Amino acid sequence: MNSMSATSETEDFPTTFANAVHGGLDKVLGQSGAAAVLSHMKMTNSLPDPAEFHKRLLALFGEKATLSLERAIVKDLVRRLKWALELLSIDGPFNFNATMLKIQKSVKA
Amino acid sequence: MTTRRSPGLRPLTQVNRQRSTAGSGAEDLAETRIATVLGLKQFTQRPVRTLLIKGLAGTGKTIVALEILKSAGKGKGAYISSRVPKELLEAHIPAMKETLDNQDFLDIRLEDATSVLDFVMQLTEPKKVRTIVFDSWDGLAKELDQKERLRAEKTLMALANNSGAQLIFVSEEPGATTIDYLVDGILELLRVEEQDRAVREFTIHKLRGTKIPQHKYLFTLLEGKFTFFGPYAIPDYSKIGKFTQRPDIDRSYSFGSGALDRLFGGMIPGSTLAIEYDENVPYSALRAIELPPIINFLSMGRSAILLPLPGANDERTNSILTKALGESAVADRLRILNVVRTSDLETTNLPKSATPHEIHEIVTRETTGLREKSKDRSVLLVKSVGALENLFASDLDSLLEVTSQEIITLAQSHDAHILFLPKDSPIRSRILSMSSSYARLFVRDGTVLLFGVRPHTGVYALQHLEDPTSPSLTQLV
Repeated sequence: MNSMSATSETEDFPTTFANAVHGGLDKVLGQSGAAAVLSHMKMTNSLPDPAEFHKRLLALFGEKATLSLERAIVKDLVRRLKWALELLSIDGPFNFNATMLKIQKSVKA
Repeated sequence: MTTRRSPGLRPLTQVNRQRSTAGSGAEDLAETRIATVLGLKQFTQRPVRTLLIKGLAGTGKTIVALEILKSAGKGKGAYISSRVPKELLEAHIPAMKETLDNQDFLDIRLEDATSVLDFVMQLTEPKKVRTIVFDSWDGLAKELDQKERLRAEKTLMALANNSGAQLIFVSEEPGATTIDYLVDGILELLRVEEQDRAVREFTIHKLRGTKIPQHKYLFTLLEGKFTFFGPYAIPDYSKIGKFTQRPDIDRSYSFGSGALDRLFGGMIPGSTLAIEYDENVPYSALRAIELPPIINFLSMGRSAILLPLPGANDERTNSILTKALGESAVADRLRILNVVRTSDLETTNLPKSATPHEIHEIVTRETTGLREKSKDRSVLLVKSVGALENLFASDLDSLLEVTSQEIITLAQSHDAHILFLPKDSPIRSRILSMSSSYARLFVRDGTVLLFGVRPHTGVYALQHLEDPTSPSLTQLV
């Protein structure tokens, strides 16, 4: 099985992605913090656009905290997709938007 | 300021721009007041972004937090209350009504952590708010489990760090909690018993990146305002101005100081006031009680005798008195008898081994002479028992006998008597029992404190805020 193309057995990708956003934020900010961020961004029910999401996080938390939050989201997503994190080979500095696009593309493939 | 709304939250109280304090200097005063508390100076200058104010109920946490909020500047602060509504807070602390009117106020008594964090995001994202007060943080945090609480606190820290806002957490939790490890600074406020009286003290437990030369300070909440007391500072005697005499108060002599008159109600003719002092009370603080009555007596055309405290510098005393009164009054109607100096004994033709009785005779003779020069024949006798004890350490019984005689004799006259008594004086209790009134001076956290035992008064911090020769007394409430 191509590990890069596997998705969650019970969820489609948008749902998995949305859950990963919740899960990643929960891990760092706690349930209240995560809910507050999504409520503040008005993203409680809709799938966040990664670029827009990154921009909003940056405005709220600044670069370093945003990086931590986005890494937590990616880790959570990879775990949900049952991928190995090492397989997600990304060159250069971490870029949330590029990473998400790569994952989405791999899932579709 | 725009009224913000948040899911589940009431609209914020709108800032009343009509009630401006701009130009009044009130905000500057708050900055100065807090800034002068050494370490806190850096807090107001922002390297310390998060501060925890701890203490039991009634210790003054809210007032301190509001003082810091006030220093944020109009419209640049927010007060998040989990305890009381705005109206009640204003009723409890009327002096802070304007501060509360000038800042956002959010009543979160019925809100959950998510709504509150969302609100903080609304405040911090535009990066305009300088200070946010959570009063109290426990009220909200206690609803969260340990892990969730820590994460919520980390979220707040990250928001503050990015926006540059200061977060002030007010807490009634006595022990260390998760927030203790996260914040940059911790202040603990206490009410402590001192001489059967309650005084307020704060301790700086930590202030990251700040040198803390003193950890504890006394403060007062007089008139609903936070005022701390730094270590006692010796006054600058070069700034002595011409003394303005204070007339008698009914049938009592003025102490020559409005503060002392208000505290003790003046000196009744024939009375003896004993001032007991701890060994660490600075001489200049004692001088602030010693000199004003003398200056006022002389300025009223009366006479005075001074037996100075051990270590007193006669030249300095003369110089201070001359600056305040002019040379003639000092030369004509004041006699300084420095009993530990042989020159004084020699001038009175006494042997170097003079007895307490012989000293008493000198004082009596000088009093008689000065009485003739006094406009109403009254004389003020200001005497250091400590200096006499040093001189007559081997004959304290005689000293006590003589002092008792003086007090009794003086009670029949129109003279006034002030005795300075070291706390560890062996004849202390006998002298105090004969004195008509009795006050104590001591030092705590570097601040000189004064209170009346008889009559009973509150505790006052002694400073020199105006005239260097006169005390400024601020009550600790």
